[in-house]
Amino acid sequence: MKHIIKIEINGNHYELAVKPGITLLDLLRDELKLTGTKRACELGDCGACTVIMEGKAVNSCLVLALEADGKQIETIEGLAKGEELHPIQRAFVEKGAIQCGYCTPGVIMRTKSLLDVNPDPTVDELKYELAGNLCRCTGYTKIIEAVQTAQEYLKGKEPEAMVFAPQKSAINLSVVGKRLPKIDSPDKATGRALYTDDMTLPNMLYGKFLLSPLAHAHIKSIKTEKAEKLPGVKYILTGADVSDIRWGTSPARYDETILAKDKVRFIGDVVAAVAAIDEETCYKALQLIEVEYEELPAVFDPEEAMKEGAPRLFEDKYENNINTHVDHHFGDINKGFAEADHIREQRFVGNRTYQNPMEPHCAIAEWDRHGRVTLYTSTQVVHYVHYQLSRILNIPQGDIRVIMTHVGGGFGAKAATTTIEVMSILLAKKTGFPVKMKFNREEMYLYGRGRHKQFIDLKIGVKKDGTITAVKQKAILEGGAYSSFGVVSTYYAGSMLPTLYKFENYKYDGLRVNTNLPPSGAFRGHGCPHPRFAFESLLSMIADDIGMDHIDIRLKNAMEPKYTTCNDLEIHSCEFTACLEEVRKKSDWERKKGNLPAGRGIGIGCGGFVSGAGYPIYRSKFPHSSAIIKIQEDGSKAVLFIGDADIGQGSDTVLAMAACEAMGISYDRISVVSADSDLTPIGFGAYSSRVTLMGGNASKMAGEDIKKQVITMASELLGISADKLDAKENKIFNKENPEQFIPWEESAFKFFSAKGPLTGRGHYSPPEGLGGTYKGAAVGTSPAFSFSATVCEVDVDMETGKVKVLNFWDAHDCGTAVNPMLVEGQAEGAVLMGMSETLMENEVFDSKGRMMNADLHNYLIATTADMPVIHSTIVDSYEPNGPFGAKEVGEGATLPVLGAVANAVADAIGARVFELPITPQRVLEAIQSVKKENQNI
Amino acid sequence: MYVSDFTYLRPKNLEEALDLLQNKDDAVALAGGTDLLVELKTGVRLCSHLVSLADVEEFKFIKEDEKSIQIGAGITHSQIMQSSLVKEHIPALALAASKIGSHQVRNNGTLGGNICSAAACCDSAPVLISLNAQIEILDATNKKIIPLEDLFQGNKINTLKKGQLVSKVIIPKTGKGTGVHYEKFGLREAMAVSVVSVSVMLKIKNESIENASVVIGAVAPTPKVSVAAVGILIGTPTHLLVEKSDPILRVSEAAVGDSIPIDDIRGGAQYRRDVLFSLTQRCILKALESAQKNV
Repeated sequence: MKHIIKIEINGNHYELAVKPGITLLDLLRDELKLTGTKRACELGDCGACTVIMEGKAVNSCLVLALEADGKQIETIEGLAKGEELHPIQRAFVEKGAIQCGYCTPGVIMRTKSLLDVNPDPTVDELKYELAGNLCRCTGYTKIIEAVQTAQEYLKGKEPEAMVFAPQKSAINLSVVGKRLPKIDSPDKATGRALYTDDMTLPNMLYGKFLLSPLAHAHIKSIKTEKAEKLPGVKYILTGADVSDIRWGTSPARYDETILAKDKVRFIGDVVAAVAAIDEETCYKALQLIEVEYEELPAVFDPEEAMKEGAPRLFEDKYENNINTHVDHHFGDINKGFAEADHIREQRFVGNRTYQNPMEPHCAIAEWDRHGRVTLYTSTQVVHYVHYQLSRILNIPQGDIRVIMTHVGGGFGAKAATTTIEVMSILLAKKTGFPVKMKFNREEMYLYGRGRHKQFIDLKIGVKKDGTITAVKQKAILEGGAYSSFGVVSTYYAGSMLPTLYKFENYKYDGLRVNTNLPPSGAFRGHGCPHPRFAFESLLSMIADDIGMDHIDIRLKNAMEPKYTTCNDLEIHSCEFTACLEEVRKKSDWERKKGNLPAGRGIGIGCGGFVSGAGYPIYRSKFPHSSAIIKIQEDGSKAVLFIGDADIGQGSDTVLAMAACEAMGISYDRISVVSADSDLTPIGFGAYSSRVTLMGGNASKMAGEDIKKQVITMASELLGISADKLDAKENKIFNKENPEQFIPWEESAFKFFSAKGPLTGRGHYSPPEGLGGTYKGAAVGTSPAFSFSATVCEVDVDMETGKVKVLNFWDAHDCGTAVNPMLVEGQAEGAVLMGMSETLMENEVFDSKGRMMNADLHNYLIATTADMPVIHSTIVDSYEPNGPFGAKEVGEGATLPVLGAVANAVADAIGARVFELPITPQRVLEAIQSVKKENQNI
Repeated sequence: MYVSDFTYLRPKNLEEALDLLQNKDDAVALAGGTDLLVELKTGVRLCSHLVSLADVEEFKFIKEDEKSIQIGAGITHSQIMQSSLVKEHIPALALAASKIGSHQVRNNGTLGGNICSAAACCDSAPVLISLNAQIEILDATNKKIIPLEDLFQGNKINTLKKGQLVSKVIIPKTGKGTGVHYEKFGLREAMAVSVVSVSVMLKIKNESIENASVVIGAVAPTPKVSVAAVGILIGTPTHLLVEKSDPILRVSEAAVGDSIPIDDIRGGAQYRRDVLFSLTQRCILKALESAQKNV
């Protein structure tokens, strides 16, 4: 029965009939279309749905709409006055506090409610007060800065201009190298930016999945009759109704079916799908589907899974459940160890972590009457979705349009085609209506594709002076039920170790093993963070063994420019040494190392990553990124059409800046259309840290194409030969006499009248023939590599084992930072996420394979209250393969963190934790075991 | 996610609320909803009648009389934190309230809801129990007052019967020389479920402990008074209660002895004992400090 309520929202009065079970969040979003308030965890754990009710911030997901009867509500939509942003919104835009933007409305509303009653909170108060709003992108640093700035704005003060020294490589540039606000941030700050779940199409249906309740079972029968009879149910699909095609991520291992065919392999495997008039009806229908299972023995531990007689996930492949096996040997490992003065070997164990983008995956599919389907989706990879859908549906790509909406973060969770993308299309086809499907938070975890847990045996040999002579690594990756990115992950786990330190003798043995758990995939730093954690830990242990400083041993072996690694990866620019020197200096390493009181520790960790994979996921000769620029006919503005995806990291902004610089126009004269398969040329998307370098090169080339044409036109207008002209800052001028110029827009305008549309084309492919010729040589190749170092300082409670991270001093070689503010944002986000993964994140399963913490209540991620101070530096560097010298930072910045934290904790407690996460319990056990050893001596 | 069908009832006052709870099948009272909505959404709990306490103004007060502070069950954690009466008389309760969930949760979550959820890790109960708080339980015809401890039967199980509501918490005022402190250990700095918690109340007279209470949380199915710890504390001269002193170690050992922790995803049983051991010491010292200031 519906009840009538009266409610005031942003000063508007509503009288509404609502169902009892509807929350205030549902009411705002679904009934009133006030979609600025975001749905992220739905259980009060993340704060994304924060609104102000009667002056108090509340999680609208935990307030029944009926309980808001008679109340006054403020939402993000009510803050700006027309064009004018609220001072808090303005500060968030200017300070770079917005990345994916999905947490932003909630954070801003919480901030407003706080500053309304306490205009002058201290930083510590802010960290405590904002802890109910989780953010996965920013590392909170810029959010806190923005709130402090907002405090000033609210008092009518204007900020002082920020003194900022550009990098050497950006001194002569006009747009690139500047700290500019993100192009999409005003929309995100006001709640206007549309994410897929914010969209509703006329007559839209909703879809939901029936998930397997068993980790391993044969499906004996599925009965859907009862569910079909439920009013509102429009269609039900089971395995019997869909084609047998196998799909997945890596072509070498397509092993997923559209719906489970005869067998389920993990709790969460997709058994059936329902389309109905609303989600509630879907859920009710799911309960009426009767599935008879024959339970099979399951296996959850990869080492158990490899044993003879262990339950097999696939009868026809992956013998002993070994999904991928890598056997690499470079140089001569025996000779290398024979030359070593000191050898140490250790086992390290990683953790099973999940990306947890704040926005849950969502897709909406709609077929037109000409046999063409449009898919709106929250993806990182429009092109791969497009390609895979064409394969699965067996229709040409021309009949599929994939549109990426705003995306609320990915970190790898959205880097491949998902089951909701496929199924929404199939259900839309069957019903004739648009279908929306989305995951809730639990379904996100169960669908999986998070970080592989790795079991690593690492052995390093060094000479007395610290020179590394040999490295041997064996890694077992816990793969979960299907392949996903796993083949590549297994190669990455080995191939990136030789990129940071120079060594010639290297053996890597990698095994990815299937288990009856959600599939593992690609998560920020893809395959590399656990091996890097192991390497950085062991290197510091060895330094202690031979009496060498931890930074010195790294400097001794540090990668250098123009170097070919033992596994045939070509390093061009490399300022790793500068990074090490920088963090040594600013952390006050010399004074602190070895001199801190018990419980206080300092540690170093290093890392780096590819700037885009050298080869695509499936074999093709396509350029990896492509761009088209169209100049408005009056010359006033450029529109950049680019296939790459802005998932919050800021690629629309960075690529626009590269295009502006190349064209010679200012940043206010460009807009961006990205990631729409009908409108934009192919870009492989946002994965493997490829967009800045690859999309940047494509955008730059398209910009240069435009520039050449406007200069030719200007040459005719000015009567000066084209080679004497240049374009910069909206002028086309005589290089010898800059006073002689015409406005850029005038030349562009005249161009259209004289020659028709002014468009520019650009594309980028990595250099041909990257990498060696051995099997798997493609993984790890890249046009460029990033380098990072970080020093971490911790305070450990020696009685409880609790680690409080105080500081990170990090330095990054990302080439030229196209937008230093965004680079800092990436680095701060990477550092906090890395810290969170190292200290608290872990997926836990019970003995039946059921995940016990598939939410944001029991799967912990760091809050503002946990944030350390992050002191980031970008070192001078120039990458010849990058646009204006740029390369990546987003993943490379994650890699040093795990080892740095582990080393700092070891320094603090005088013992080491070899397994992630480094929980208080493990820390305390390590402290206790040392105490016991000492007593025994 | 969705909430299963139910009938929403919104009584205008206490009398109506009690009547509905008594007479409607499978009726559940809705206070702040921060626990209940989660349980309804995840399907852990189903109910056919939800009785909203939103308009039950009788539950929304904090007042004092000569002997006690009385807090209505409908008072939110934020209101507890801001109450001058609470800050003056039971600062440890304000501290405990500040450690619950997030600001948003504290704005809606109520004291009554927190204790009636009866979680072993409940943050408001240890302080209240250490102060011998009592609760008033009402139903349509009766009223009774029982010790708060007796509300807890097992983890997430309370002793309320059909039709009963907790209406208020009565906290006896403490005299001079009394100090209370609350220590919570969670796995992150905010928004963390307690892995271990301790509340200690000490009353000093003539430089020794005249009265004491030690309540341990999240280490047994319910918050629990450590009788053994109290036994050791009473009569101990205050100058012996210093860091790592013999009596303080013995008290902490006694608290550990009274715990019956389990292994769960937040920590193993032995780890909980280790943390409890340290937390108890810290809590005693802090409680002593405030007792010594309260002269």
